[in-house]
Amino acid sequence: MEQLIIFIVLIMMGYFFGRMAESRHYRSIKEREQFWMTRPAGSYKRVSDPKRTILKSELVSGNVVISVDYFKRIVAGLRNIFGGEVRVYETLVDRARREALLRLNESCEDADEIINLRIETSSIYKGRRKQVGSVEVLAFGTAVYFEQK
Amino acid sequence: MDYKPVLPNINDNISTDSPIKEALVLLSGVVVFFLIAYGVLGLCVDWAVTRISPEMEAAIFSGFQVPSKFITEENQPGQAMLQQLTDDLRECCDVDYPVKVLIAPSETANAVALPGGTIVVFSGLFDMLRSQNGLAFVMAHELGHYKQRDHLRGMGRGIVLTALSALLTGSGSNITQLAAPGVHLTQARYSRQREAMADDQALETLVCHYGHAGGATEFFKAMGAEHDSGRLNAYFASHPEGEARIAALEKKIQDRHFDIRDVAPLPVEVISK
Repeated sequence: MEQLIIFIVLIMMGYFFGRMAESRHYRSIKEREQFWMTRPAGSYKRVSDPKRTILKSELVSGNVVISVDYFKRIVAGLRNIFGGEVRVYETLVDRARREALLRLNESCEDADEIINLRIETSSIYKGRRKQVGSVEVLAFGTAVYFEQK
Repeated sequence: MDYKPVLPNINDNISTDSPIKEALVLLSGVVVFFLIAYGVLGLCVDWAVTRISPEMEAAIFSGFQVPSKFITEENQPGQAMLQQLTDDLRECCDVDYPVKVLIAPSETANAVALPGGTIVVFSGLFDMLRSQNGLAFVMAHELGHYKQRDHLRGMGRGIVLTALSALLTGSGSNITQLAAPGVHLTQARYSRQREAMADDQALETLVCHYGHAGGATEFFKAMGAEHDSGRLNAYFASHPEGEARIAALEKKIQDRHFDIRDVAPLPVEVISK
């Protein structure tokens, strides 16, 4: 009985705190994406305007590790039995991907363009029972600085 | 024409469905599966135990050791007397098991029927009872369990439960805890039913042995005076609550027109010094 109470408390804590953290994170993501929206960033290996002189280029990266909350872990565990889309994990991956990109952007504020952008992901923590606990996303690319006209 | 970058209004990469709804749907699926499987396999156990003969049971449990926490030494005072009493009762309820009685020195007032035909009596029982008839009723109750093969049923259902939860979730997963209370409720109810049947059997045995039903409710009355568990606990308890059992027994005594005469005193061997 006590075990069950602890379990329910954990689930509720996971749900409320997880939801709070998630909506706060999304607010921040949207705000920052709005700011970086106008700087080109792409997976092409060449810059968008070959006529411009490149002053400097550098490797830039941004990475983030985001953990799943207890509630989502349980729902995903149930999903494991029946199969199907693990919807509760979607926001986890989405947030991590966007946050990694934002961090990459923020690491080179003066760059004019990001090229050769790549994203990698891995689950770095498997937990006691090999469940995915948190996800790591690494974004890396080349920041290009043009000579100012 | 200029390209004007904008952020998408809708995020297509995430679902907007309520995760709580998803959790509830999945959970009810698990619980329903669990209960159905448990019910069906439980019935299979019931079917199987009636086909296990005492000889087969003895063979299966020949390696079964009475847990050492119960037994300190053989030949406790009153052991022979209790064995004799049990053997006499056995003839009355035609249990064709060789039943062995052991006395465990303990504060607890209880007795358990173990697979393989061993009844362990906790000596606290003797302090609580006042008559031989009361003691005989308790022994007859345990014999009733043997007659109904409840010890095998209990064990079989326990195995089913463990196997199911391991199958569903891998051993010791959190998800088992969600389904556990529901299963515990059905288990307790099933067990209460079996206990009531054993009481019924014990009453018949008592009347057969002594010719009257005196002492049948003695144990429950003594237990009822000891403690009174809460309302919620009644649902989870595996044994029907004392009051209800006394009432059921008294009704049966009345219905079947059993006499209640004077009871024999508790044998001196078991009265603690």
